[in-house]
Amino acid sequence: MERFGYVRAATISEALTFLNQPGYKNRPLAGSTDLVLLLRRNPDLCDRVVDISLIPEMHTIEKTGNDVIIGASASFSEIISNPIIRETGPILVEACKTVGATQIRNMGTIGGNVANAAACADSLPALVCLDAMARVLTPSEEFNWTVSELVISPNKTRIPAGGLLVSLRYTIPPSGTRGVFLKLGRRNAMAISRLTVAALGRLDENGRIADARFVTGSAAPQICRFKDVETSLLGQVPTPALMLAAGKLATEEMIRLSGYRWSSEYKVPALAAMTSRALSRVFQVREPSGEVV
Amino acid sequence: MTDRQFIGKPTNRVDALEKVMGTARYTADYYLPGMLISRCLRSKVPHARIISIDTSEARQIPGVHAVITCDDFIDHGRFGFPIVDMYMLAYQRVRYVGDPIAAVAAENEESLQAALKAIKVELEPLPGLFDPRQALSPDAPLVGEKPRDAEGYPHGNLLIDYIVRQNDPDAVWKECDLVLDKEYTTMHQEHAYIETEASLAVPWPKSSGVTVYACCQSPFLAKNNIIQTVGLGSEDVRVIQPYVGGAFGGKDDTMYQTIAQTAKLALISGRPVKMVFSREESMISSYKRDAMIMHYKIGAKKDGTLMACQFHGIVDSGAYAAITPFTAWRSTIHAMGPYRYQACSVDTDVVYTNNGFAGAFRGFGNTEVCFASELAVDEIAYRLNMDPIDLRLKNCLRPGDTTSHGQKLGDDVALAECLQQVRKLSDWDRKRKEFEQGDPARIHPGELRKGIGVAAVFHGMSLGAEGKDSAVGTLRINDDNTLTLTSGLTDYGSGSRTVFTLIAAETLGINPSRIHMLRPDTDTAIDSGPTVASRATVLGGNATQVTAMRLDAILLNAAADLFHCQIVDILRDGENYIGPNEEPASFDKVVDHARQMGLTLSTEGRWNAPENHWSFESGTGKPYFAYHFGAQVAEVLVDTGTGKVEVTGYWGVHNTGTVIFPQGILGQLYGGITQGLGYALMERVDFDKGFIQATNFDEYIIPTAMDVPEIVGAFVEKPFSDGPYGAKNIAEPSLVPAAPAIINAIFHATGRRIQNLPANLERVLIGKDLRKEGSNTACKLGLHQV
Ligand SMILES: Cc1cc2nc3c(=O)[nH]c(=O)nc-3n(C[C@H](O)[C@H](O)[C@H](O)COP(=O)(O)OP(=O)(O)OC[C@H]3O[C@@H](n4cnc5c(N)ncnc54)[C@H](O)[C@@H]3O)c2cc1C
Repeated sequence: MERFGYVRAATISEALTFLNQPGYKNRPLAGSTDLVLLLRRNPDLCDRVVDISLIPEMHTIEKTGNDVIIGASASFSEIISNPIIRETGPILVEACKTVGATQIRNMGTIGGNVANAAACADSLPALVCLDAMARVLTPSEEFNWTVSELVISPNKTRIPAGGLLVSLRYTIPPSGTRGVFLKLGRRNAMAISRLTVAALGRLDENGRIADARFVTGSAAPQICRFKDVETSLLGQVPTPALMLAAGKLATEEMIRLSGYRWSSEYKVPALAAMTSRALSRVFQVREPSGEVV
Repeated sequence: MTDRQFIGKPTNRVDALEKVMGTARYTADYYLPGMLISRCLRSKVPHARIISIDTSEARQIPGVHAVITCDDFIDHGRFGFPIVDMYMLAYQRVRYVGDPIAAVAAENEESLQAALKAIKVELEPLPGLFDPRQALSPDAPLVGEKPRDAEGYPHGNLLIDYIVRQNDPDAVWKECDLVLDKEYTTMHQEHAYIETEASLAVPWPKSSGVTVYACCQSPFLAKNNIIQTVGLGSEDVRVIQPYVGGAFGGKDDTMYQTIAQTAKLALISGRPVKMVFSREESMISSYKRDAMIMHYKIGAKKDGTLMACQFHGIVDSGAYAAITPFTAWRSTIHAMGPYRYQACSVDTDVVYTNNGFAGAFRGFGNTEVCFASELAVDEIAYRLNMDPIDLRLKNCLRPGDTTSHGQKLGDDVALAECLQQVRKLSDWDRKRKEFEQGDPARIHPGELRKGIGVAAVFHGMSLGAEGKDSAVGTLRINDDNTLTLTSGLTDYGSGSRTVFTLIAAETLGINPSRIHMLRPDTDTAIDSGPTVASRATVLGGNATQVTAMRLDAILLNAAADLFHCQIVDILRDGENYIGPNEEPASFDKVVDHARQMGLTLSTEGRWNAPENHWSFESGTGKPYFAYHFGAQVAEVLVDTGTGKVEVTGYWGVHNTGTVIFPQGILGQLYGGITQGLGYALMERVDFDKGFIQATNFDEYIIPTAMDVPEIVGAFVEKPFSDGPYGAKNIAEPSLVPAAPAIINAIFHATGRRIQNLPANLERVLIGKDLRKEGSNTACKLGLHQV
């Protein structure tokens, strides 16, 4: 293990001061569950960590008007047990539940997950599905990006050096919205996602699809909503055939975004199956397996 | 049948508290004043000739106290058993990525790293051999040491070959209604012991000798290796085994190297020297379960009678022999599975490659062949429209049968009982009907399908004809009337200290809490061979019983003297001795009286396993003195949309003879099945041009608690006449049938038979493996990580 300095910030402004203090190569440290591994691989990453995990204002989870704001230092466990998110964004709760294991969920933060921006980060598809916004501060500026704008490519974000992701914010979806998050890994805990899908939707009073949002993780270099899939659903009456077709569209969109790769021969059928399963559950139609869920 | 006080009764492990409280100390936990740390410089190429090694600069670095190479050992540190082809540090060639070249002892991490960087090694790259199928081709690069044309060696890369012969299968095929002809492959598996390799060597004054604390399969082998390669007398070396954090067969050769290296470094520097592997170093440099390519041809009659079996196996031993010759011999003996055949022929070739190196791993060669043969037999059952358990019952070895090796079995055989019990326990018949058999052509993608599968196992007990097989235990009554028990066998966490304690307590009729069992120490325990081959309970247990019986006889004599009666007139009531006048004397009183009589209250007991014999020329004999039998059933839920397999239920019934320590035996069963589940579904050591791809547990995945279903275990306690209180073994056979049971269940669910392990997402969904292009970065990085 390499040596590095450590300071703990008590407030957001103190964190920003530390992060921009000359003479150091600073790096925010939240739950450290990614950073320790990064440092092990690359000891030159930083020479001082700025601990932001104990800043009270970065742990708050609150409802303001029709929006929910989540402090970036909220741990997965805090999110999973938070009544506001459980009620207004259960898809995010489901996603956070699949992260690592209890110890990782206690330490790991949503801000760290977004800022680290791994292709397999499990909160990302749910956040993008919720159209979440990220608030980033530097000593002189404030940025508000959607999460899919913030993440440029795997492990690359728009957060400027010395900047801090302070919170995430989503607008509460209209009532009647249902969300489903599915994760596929090689084992049932402590698993790096091979594929994730997040789907959110709502029917209108005529039983037609009024809202459809669909995102997959670990499938494309930049996490984004799959517009072709969504368009194919809007205004339609949900049927098993429609869900199957959407699954096929999702795979086409994945190949268009990421190209045909070593894993595509597997990921194409797997994504098709996961997509139609997730959408079937959102719109409550019979799954291809014949099981009603 | 019994009025036993302790055996078979629930109890705590003798070391439970220390482990739970964190007070149990492992080798890495020891810190001594003046202690140096040490590490090896390891090869970053799979195969090369060593032109020169220059350590002069490294020696000059402040804080560096010793730098050694193979030249610091006698005969370049040549060692190995049964084939001597390894060195304590590489000599003339490096043969795999991770091969140790030089070792440094230094005061701190900075000096150590600087010295490792300063060692100049000039290497001439040699072509690597990575495909075991090509190992014996005339133009394959030579990895073995024997020249290609050496006498008696058909090829320099052929480490050894074995056969079994019984009649001629070729004469029987025409009598068969069905002949199955298939190839199966298994991958290397990592032991994943929680404690990485660790050794601490402490020199005696003036470096006259050395004491080593280290985790290993046998402290006695470690000691002998030091004697031979470092050149000390037997009385100048002591090896002590602290608590060990798991081994699973993995702490043999790599550890003997590490132990000898630290011993030499300590003797040169005159300071205690500790070496602890990082996880990466452990994964890269330690040996694995061998990978195997297996070709089976099995013939059967329409009624399910198995007729003939022909097997050809190629074992990838990697760069060195290590224990693989024994592993492969066990594969050879077990290749037919626990069934009767009219004819069989088995041929196993063990070859060198530059894919790391392979050695002992729980299951020891049987894991590989059991996987393949249980898939083959299962397929025959399905093809003949027979219930897989029925087919096994029809052909399985029974008491008094003769095996394909020509060995007549005793009445301890209980495979049929295991199969019948596991059938009931798992509700097999109902589920077989309820989970409709999968047909790939008719499955809707995304369907969740259930399946159930079975596998049977037999596993030769202890070392068999591999070598001399005996164990020794000692007992001593201390001044405070507590007892000290020793065995030369190690408890890696498997529970043998508890088993031996219970056996001694039962035999002596005293409370187990009086007995303290030491961990092996070459100065206090007596060589009992290595703790391998699931031999501890039977070998060590018998030795414990013998020594306890001797001590019991001494105490009975004392009691008879005390009561002025005959020994036969004495009864026991708990710890008390009761004489003819019905007045009880406490254990303490009898012991005191024995002391007054001048009796020596310490005993030694040896138990020799019954004779075995094996003819390597004719491929017949009596390879093991007895066998363990068992049957396991797995229930799975397969997601046909993603290929994800969930093991949803598991049942194991084993012919263990008398159960001595109930929680211990269940622990072994659960652990073995879990390790087998990993082998079946997820574990894979990939070598890419000799570079291992996963160097830590982020990429090398093993099952978590969330992946393991509730396991239901039951034991057929048919007493085994050669076992202590009728006990057999369990450690390895619990693992062996798990993979085939799971894979057979996947077939039942999907109609897809996966012949190559592991049955990962890709193989289950699309029927083939996909691999990212390999690289050498993880490996190279891993060798730098601390
Ligand atoms: C065993 C294990 C299992 C895991 N399993 C999963 C899993 O199943 N799913 C999953 O998605 N992830 C998983 N992870 C990865 C990791 O736990 C998550 O990505 C977690 O969210 C990281 O958060 P953290 O608070 O620990 O971040 P840290 O490690 O503290 O930081 C991560 C990176 O983000 C930066 N950073 C942190 N907070 C901010 C901020 N507010 N503003 C700007 N930059 C910031 C840090 O400088 C660093 O570069 C696992 C990790 C481990 C070790």
